Parts: sequence; C-alpha cells; structure tokens
Amino acid sequence: MLKKRLVGVITVRDGWAVQSFGYRRYLPLGHPQFLAQNLDRWGADEILVLCIDRSRRSLGPDLQLLRCLGSLGLSTPLTYGGGIRTAADAAAVIQAGAERVCVDAVLRAAPGIVGEISALVGAQAVIGVLPLSCVAGELQWLDYLSGRSAPLAAADLMPFERHGASEALIVDWRNEGRPGGFDPDLVRQFPLHGVPLIAFGGVSEAGQVETLLGHECVAAVGIGNFLAYREHAVQKLRQRVAANSIRAAVFSGGD
Amino acid sequence: MNKITVGIVDYGIGNHSSVRQTLNALEMRCRISDEPAVLDACDVLLLPGVGAFRPAIDALRARSLDRYLHEQADRDRPLLGICLGMQLLAQASHEDGFTQGLGLVPGEVVSLEAPHWHIGWNVVRQVQMDPLFRGSHEQAFYFNHSYAYRGPIEFQVCRTTAGEDFISAIRKGRIVGVQFHPEKSQAAGRALLRELICGLRDA
Repeated sequence: MLKKRLVGVITVRDGWAVQSFGYRRYLPLGHPQFLAQNLDRWGADEILVLCIDRSRRSLGPDLQLLRCLGSLGLSTPLTYGGGIRTAADAAAVIQAGAERVCVDAVLRAAPGIVGEISALVGAQAVIGVLPLSCVAGELQWLDYLSGRSAPLAAADLMPFERHGASEALIVDWRNEGRPGGFDPDLVRQFPLHGVPLIAFGGVSEAGQVETLLGHECVAAVGIGNFLAYREHAVQKLRQRVAANSIRAAVFSGGD
Repeated sequence: MNKITVGIVDYGIGNHSSVRQTLNALEMRCRISDEPAVLDACDVLLLPGVGAFRPAIDALRARSLDRYLHEQADRDRPLLGICLGMQLLAQASHEDGFTQGLGLVPGEVVSLEAPHWHIGWNVVRQVQMDPLFRGSHEQAFYFNHSYAYRGPIEFQVCRTTAGEDFISAIRKGRIVGVQFHPEKSQAAGRALLRELICGLRDA
C-alpha cells in the first residue's frame, strides 16, 4: 500500500531558513542545510524547500542552495519550489539535486508553461502550489505577489486536470505558523477529487495529522515550523499518529 | 578489498548528485561520464533517470550511449537502471506517444491506470527468488513515477501494489532495473543499493 507522507517543509527567505507566520512575519532559524540534515536524520518522508522570495524578486530558482543541499548526501527525497519560470528552470532544479519541483507564480501567470515543465521532467515531478483561504464556504486563491485573493475558478485548475501537475500543495496561508490552525475546509471544499493534495500551513498536532490523512484525497501533510522545535520531531510525530497509512517510526530518539 | 567503482552514465538529464553522494557514503568510487573510456574502467554501470522517457532516450542517442550500452550488455557487463533508467532498459515506452527504448530487457513501459500517479513510499514484494533482493522483501522504498514496466514473467523480480499491481524490479542476467529510488530511500535504500552493486559485480 502506498503510504501517506509526512513532509518536512523548510521555508527559505533571502538564503536563510525562517519560521513563517501567515505569509507576513518571519523569524530566522539558521542555515537551510542544517534543517535539511535534521529532517533527513529524523526520517521525514520528503523534504520540501520553499524559497519564498525568488519569484517576487525575479531571481529564478536558487540553484546554489540546491547544489549545497545536493552535496550533503541526503537520503530523503527533496522537492524544491521558488522562482521556477520555465521548463529549463525546472530541469536545472532537477539536475541540481531535487526530485520534484513546485510551481507557484507561473501557475497563475502562465499555466501553459506547467505543461511544458511536465513534458520535460515528467508530470509526476510537478507540484502546483495553491495558497488558499476559505471565505463563506468559497475557496479563495491568494496571489501572493499582489497580496490579493480571488475566488478559485475551474479554469485555474486546468494544469491539474490536464496532468501538468501531479499533486496540489494546498497552503493555508492565513494559519501558517499557528499551532493546529490548518482549516480543514480547504481540503473538504477542494473541487478536484482526483488530485492528490498536500496540506500545509498550521499543521502541528498528531490528531490533526490523523484527521487530514483520513481524507482520501490527502496524500501528505507538510509541517514546517513545528518540526524545528525539538530533536527527532518527525519520529515522535510518527509515534503519536495512530494511522497505519504512514510509515512507522524507523527509530526512536530522545530529546 | 578494492573499492568498487561505479560508472554513472551521464546523458545530461537527471539528478546525479544524489546517487553519487549515496555511493560515496557506501564507500564506493564514482565516475560520472559519457565517455566510453571512463565507463569502461568501472566495475558496474549505473543508468539514472528523472523525467520523461522521450527526452531521455533522445539524449542517450545524441551521445551514442545507446550503442555503447548495447555493446556493454553484449559483453555481459553489470548494469543497474534506476527509475526512468529502468524504463529505458525496455524495448519501448508509451509515454507521450510510442518511443523505442534500449531494448536490453524485453517488455514495454505503459501508463499506470488507477491511480495515475505513484508518488511516495511503498513496499516491494519479491516474486522471484533473487539473492540481490533477499533483504528487501516487504521493505518500503521511495517511488515517483506514472509509468511502469510490463514484460515477461521471467524478468520480473519484485512487484508493488498501488491500486493496481505493477512490476517494481526486473532482472535479465547482469542487468537489473528498479522503479523506485534506492538512493532516496534512507537506510533500506542504501542497504539494497550496496547489495545490488556488490552482487552485480560478483554475479
């Protein structure tokens, strides 16, 4: 049986790993490579590095960071997001050390490029990022470059329907960094039922992880800040999550 | 005992650093090259791969590596294909139309049906006794693909279930392919990679 995943998310801003709160407040954590090494050692199912300023500043993907991470010899799958504008960018990210890529700004600005990316690196390697909120039962998609939200329309989801992206990273941007804050309506209201979802933003508690993973459409949960607070956080979370849909803890570690 | 040297076949596509780092962690030497003279000097050849089938086989052909790999197979040199590298070993793929593969192992690559994607950790079951995989039965490895090999039962070594049942490892003599990424499968992956490379060299 395919296991559901606990994804360790490292948010990077200006080259530094940060704790992110609601897409607007950031506290430094240190070098991203140290966090990546911890997540690798602690047995995360996947490591997701999100460089949140690359698209905003038109910098393209942070290949230097990726090469640095690639040189660490991580034995955990690595996904990268941030600044990917073209299929060539995505290929460069893969060659620099990532297994998968996240597309964010391009998903809105030029969704056709998502198809070009998947044709080159394989759709299984492409994740579409959707920062969402749920207002009066309606999903709103945040354009994080302008700071404005608009209702999520069927046309917005074409890259997923046409197999340009294999999974959707649903970010509860409003509750990001708030313990237990993830709004489950983002999952319940998501209109495409055949698209595997990664729920991220305010996911911290074992019971919350169990509930989210109990949704058939949720393939993974992304956990950011909350994995940075204690040693062996991933394994401890695994031990507390009463679900055989995830891998069992590989080893037990103390604080 | 001398260190094993693994030659990673470099066709310009894919993520070589992960495999190289893992091999180094296993105390193996690693050469990444598209030059026959360099690859000839290696104990085991490794064909990696991330991405789509057609650009990958085109890239192999553009560097004449398809011919080289055929010659090495004829010489019975050990070869390990990983993920897309395993699919390239087959006769053809139906990804994005019909594309001929290397044809080193009989069979074709077809789309997974339901679900369309297979991404994450899943268990492999050995369906044919093979000492190279004896420690990996019922172990979980990391997969990331939407196409899979389909071919004669004699070449099937492991299968995996994800909605449908598909072939997750193949072997024909000293040619082995695994659909998953042992280099990204933590302790279980490293153990298997060691077993495969050492076993293929000594087979």
